[in-house]
Formats: sequence, structure tokens, C-alpha cells
Amino acid sequence: MKEVLLVGNPNSGKTTLFNSLTSSNEHIGNWHGVTVETKQKAFEFEGEKFLLVDTPGIYSLCALSFEEEVAVNTILSKKNQKIINICDKNNLQRNLYLTLCLLERGCDVILAINEIDKKSIYKIDYKQLGEKLGVEVVCINAEKKVGLFDLKKALSKKNKKTKLPYLKQLSGELQGYDLIKAYEKDEKYFKQEISSVPDDSLEIIAKLRYGYIEELLSSCTKKTGDVYGKSRLDRIFLNKWLALPMFLLVLSIIFYLTFFSLGSFLSDILQNFLSWVTRPLTDWLFDVCGNTWIFDLFNVAILGGVATVLSFLPQVVLLFFFLSILEDSGYMARIAFVFEDILGRIGLSGKSVYTLLMGFGCSTSAIMTARNMDDKNAKIKTAILCPYMSCSAKIPIYTVLGGAFFGASNLLCIIGLYLLGVVVAIAISKILDSTILKSEKQSFILEFPPYRTTSLKRVFKTLWKNTKSFLLKVGSVMLSMNVIIWLLSAFSFKFSYVATSGEPSMLESIGKFLAPIFTPLGFNNWAIVSALLAGLVAKEVVVSSIAMFNGIDAGATKLISESILVSSNLVYFSSVSSILSFLVFCLLYTPCVASISMLNHEIGKKWTLFSVVLQFFTAYLVSFVIYTISFAIEIFGFVKIFLLLLAILSIILAIWFVVRKVRKKEICANCEGCKKSCNKRRK
Amino acid sequence: MANFLEYFFFALIIYYMITLDKGKLKKEYKIEKFLDHSTIVRRFLELGLTVGQKVKVVATSLQKKVFLIEVRGYLLSIRTSLLEKVVVSQ
Repeated sequence: MKEVLLVGNPNSGKTTLFNSLTSSNEHIGNWHGVTVETKQKAFEFEGEKFLLVDTPGIYSLCALSFEEEVAVNTILSKKNQKIINICDKNNLQRNLYLTLCLLERGCDVILAINEIDKKSIYKIDYKQLGEKLGVEVVCINAEKKVGLFDLKKALSKKNKKTKLPYLKQLSGELQGYDLIKAYEKDEKYFKQEISSVPDDSLEIIAKLRYGYIEELLSSCTKKTGDVYGKSRLDRIFLNKWLALPMFLLVLSIIFYLTFFSLGSFLSDILQNFLSWVTRPLTDWLFDVCGNTWIFDLFNVAILGGVATVLSFLPQVVLLFFFLSILEDSGYMARIAFVFEDILGRIGLSGKSVYTLLMGFGCSTSAIMTARNMDDKNAKIKTAILCPYMSCSAKIPIYTVLGGAFFGASNLLCIIGLYLLGVVVAIAISKILDSTILKSEKQSFILEFPPYRTTSLKRVFKTLWKNTKSFLLKVGSVMLSMNVIIWLLSAFSFKFSYVATSGEPSMLESIGKFLAPIFTPLGFNNWAIVSALLAGLVAKEVVVSSIAMFNGIDAGATKLISESILVSSNLVYFSSVSSILSFLVFCLLYTPCVASISMLNHEIGKKWTLFSVVLQFFTAYLVSFVIYTISFAIEIFGFVKIFLLLLAILSIILAIWFVVRKVRKKEICANCEGCKKSCNKRRK
Repeated sequence: MANFLEYFFFALIIYYMITLDKGKLKKEYKIEKFLDHSTIVRRFLELGLTVGQKVKVVATSLQKKVFLIEVRGYLLSIRTSLLEKVVVSQ
């Protein structure tokens, strides 16, 4: 099987071409650094088999970040393989820089010029460009699958020997590719300093390459359009005063449509449908099995638990759908630009916004995207903070439990929970930045993609992908987890059926053992503690477990809320403060097993363990504070507690100001470790 | 006289040279040199910020910690602290 590498600049359409050539559905987005690892899949053309390898985006053959290293190592480790170098047609000048690097290395290149945007900046004479570079040039549209036949045909053609005239201008002791690498001062290539090249060799070779590209483009192309990525929309989205309110508006619209109007409407329809489908099945099961434990297992654990979570499918899919639209639109790069100022203050990068926003969808996949950060400490911090962003798996918990207690004002409760996650993440980032994870000098460099609209086909592909992954999760992890939890809650340690023997179940015994730990948080019910334990596998299981403990039928989400509110109010949650504390604990406590394993993969065992412990303690502490304050409000009234908190806050601020002033004076007195403000005073 | 003029023009160039982080909005500059050859400068060169190239500051963030610059027909946002290494003339 012939191996073909897909190589190109970030956001040039490599993964789109990979999907088109291999009929895959890999994640894509209109933003730098979406692909962070290599992917491979085979395809066949005219009886010949090819193995296509998609690589993360690079600018040259000198890697500066982890994901670039993955791509460069893949290219350098394999000799004589075909390389499809994909270039964005509208950003040809910068894209051809990598082409020259590949040709200098002697790679067998096919130049695929991708027409992503309808509006063309360049008019290209492909034939002439191919002749001058000595490579096959194919014009394609990766998304619309245009030109793919020519591209596949070019795979079997052999290139002529490429002549790069500017290389004659390089001089030194070394020859050929060694000389080029010496000019590039590639330490990984030589592992020792090269003295035979000029000091500014890097600048010389870059200027020679760009000089040759300019010469090529002036003879083979005609510039017709404007600047790549420039748009009138940026007058609003990048405006100093409007950028942040616009971002908040966009987020509010997304959350409103996801959790309320549209999401809630679709969720209700699905819920009614599930009830309609499962009711006859339950009746039939009852007729066959009678009121036995087998009937309970099917009705409560399998149908009830799974259908409860399934009814939230529309909301989960909608959230992913809106996030993918944001990704495809090109707005993500603008958000990173706007947030670089703010996040820089807490030791993160503007690029962290992407990871953190994706965290609202699924923490597991979001953690992986932290890889495109240049600063190692910022990467670790972003990965640790990602689970604090409330993921879509927690939606059922907020909707069911919040809905039971807060009714119509649950919208405020959900927004509050999302905001609390963000605020806690900011506080933790600041603490980590000033203690054990100090950021190096930030190196924020980000290319601005043009605004693009998403095609309907891609929308449906994204919807299908997320629906499939959710259904698979429900059908595998959650189904088995529900059965295990049901068995633990239905049988005692002596393996007798609880409903008939009256003995405490295994789960009840474990839950009762652990429950006192949660007494200071206002919920010490064994069932709730057991649901939290089950939530470690997947957060959706928390609600399905509660549904099981209440013996709720399939798909009857509203019944769970009502049962908590009416029959079990005193058993499960003693007051509104205790449910608030529980919701906050669910928001912040240790993420699911999949996220933990992804953390381990990305940041190592030490930091994963730290993250897990930190999250548990943060959740415990914040829940305790929330419970104490809200409980005090319930007893003493809002005004008294508000004034008390104001007084405490004033005292803390006053102490902070005094300590800061004393420390500044100390620094000024001995002039050691002088800070910027101190220097100004001395001047 | 010739020497004096040479010095005068040299002084004039030095006067007009600034690092790009001090660049003003909507102004165009020409890259004169880089202050070191660190990995960041390597990335700048790969991205097309070569000596003699013209760059334009298109937008700045609220606290001016990030610049959006136009170079070689595309837009690039860069943290201003990194642009301290790029000497430009007005």
C-alpha cells in the first residue's frame, strides 16, 4: 500500500480533503490548530490502494510546538512517500513557503491548491506554476469534492527534478540539504552549533524563499482581490468597546436556544415519543414477568434510566451544533484576539478560549485541543481548567433537579451555574499562575481566517456525528452502569432482593458509609451520594440513578422532578440551599473517567492526580460556602446576610491593600527585585 | 560635508526607527531588522515578516496587548511583547 501524506499550513483544508478522499467524518473547523495528531485511512483508486495520513498544520520543517513536531517527524521519518501539499488559494504567498521547504528536502510533492472561498484573491496560471516549481499542480475544492479525480490521478505520476535557483546564493562548508539546515540553524538536525554560516542566516534564507515566491507569483498569478481574512464585520467584533458585549450576546443566544425555547421544545417532543414507545413495552413485560426483580431491572434500570438521559439528546446535540457553527465561522480567532488581554492576566493564552468553549460541549475532546498552545504551563493550566466549564453531560442534572426547585426561574439558576464554573476557573488559574504554574512569556501568534458560512451538508454531518456518539455512550457506558447501579441498589450484601427481604441494599450501605462526608454540604442522603459516585463514570448517570432510586418509568423526566419535590423533598434535599449546594458540587467535582484518562494522556500522571484532587476539594469548598450563605439567607433574610458579606469583603480588601503597600515599601527600601511601578517612582 | 550628510541621514533613520510594539493604528511600517534570532523570530520569518517587508497595524486589543497586523496580504494577530524584537521604520 502506497503511503500519502497530507501536509499544509494550519487551516488550509487538510482534514476536509482527508474526509473527502477517505469518506471520513473527522473534526474540522475554520481556525488554526484543530488537528493536533495524525490520522490515517486507506482509499482505493484505479485498483491501487493508498494509505492517506493527515498531519497537523505546519509553517516549515522546523517544529516549534508539540503538534508541529508530530507533523514534522512524520514527514522526516519516511522517505520516498508521496506528499499532497495543500495550499489555500487565497493565501498562496505564505502557503508556498512550506512548499519550498518540502522541495528543498527533495520530497515528492503534489501541490493541491484549495479553493475554499468563493471570492478569489488570486487568478492563477496552474500550468505555468507547475512547470516553474517542477511539480504537479491540481486545483481542488476539498469540501465540494471538486478536482479530486485529477488529484488521485496525479498520485501515480512522477515529478521532474525541481530546480530552486535561489539556493545557489547560499554559501558555506556544507553541501545540499545540510547547508540549508545550517542556514536554518536547526538544532534538532545538527545537535551542535554551526559556525560556517552568517549570523543572520535565518533571515537570509527566509528572504530568499519569499523573494522566489514573489517572483513566481508575479509571473504565474494576477492579484484580483483584497486582504485575506479582512471583513467589515470586524468593525463590530473587534471593536474595543463592542467586542466583549457582542461575545456575551452570542453566548446568551446559544444558551437560550439550547436550554430553553428550541432545546426544551424538542426535548419535550422526544420525551413524549419515548413514553409512547416504552409504555406498551412496559405493559407487555409486566404481563410476562409479573412484579418481579426481572421486571424492575428492565423497567427501571434499562428503560427508565436510559430513556431519561435520552430525552436530553436534543439539547446536547444543539449545543454541539452551535459550537461547530462558531468554529466554522472564523469567529473563534476573533474571540482569542479579544480575550488575549484578559486571559493573559490570569496566566492563560487567548488560544485557551477555544479549549474552554469546547469544554461546554465535552471536556474529553476539549482537553485534547489544549495541545496547540505554545507555553507548556499555559497548556497544563488550560487542561486542568477545562472540566470546570460545565459540559453538556451536566445539562440533565440542572434541568431535572433545578427545574424541580426553581421552576420557571431555573434559567437564572443554569446561567448562574455556568458563570460560577467560569469564575472558579479564573480564580484557580490566577492562584496556579502565582504559585506552581507560572506562565512563561506569552507567545500569542494567530492567523485570522476569513468569515465563512457552514454548508448544510456539514451541519448534518456534525449533528449525526454527535448524535451517534451520544447514542453510543447511552447504549454502552450508561446502560451497563445503570444495570450495575440497579443491581447494587436492589440486592443486599447477602444477595437477597431488597424489595422482599427488607434488608439494606449494597449501595445503601456504601452510600450511608460515605454520606457523613457530605453533611456539611447539606445533602447526606445515601441515594444522592451513590448517584454522585456513579457520576464519576459519566455525569448523565447522576440523573438516571436518581430516576432508578425513585422507581420512575421510562422517559418520564418531569416525574423525577415531581418525585424529588413532592415525595422526597425532606429525604433527598432538606432545603433549597441543599439542592443549590448539590448542583454546585455536580458542576465542579471530579470529571468523568474519560476526561481523567484524556488529562493523563495530555498532561501526565502527576498533574492529572493534582487536577482530580483539586477539583474535589474546590467542589467541596465552594459547595460548603454556597450552602452556608444560602442557608443563612433562609434563616436571617437576604439584607442582613448581604450586609455581613459586604463587611467581611471590605475587611479582606482593606487588609490586602495594607499588605500590598507594606510590601511595596519594603521593596523600595532595599531596592532588590524592584518592580515596574517602583522603578517609575525612582525615576 | 559628505560625512556630515551621511551622519545626518543615519541619525534621521535611527530617529524614525521604532520597535513594532510601539506602532500606531492604521500606520504602515517597513521591517528593518530583528533584535535576536530566537524561536519567535524564526516563526516571524516563516510567517513572512522578513526584512524590508511592509506591515500595517490594522487593529489593537482593548489594552493594546495584542496587535492585528496586515502582512503579505493576510492578517496576523501577535502579542505586542513579541513585537519588541521587530525594529521597523516609519
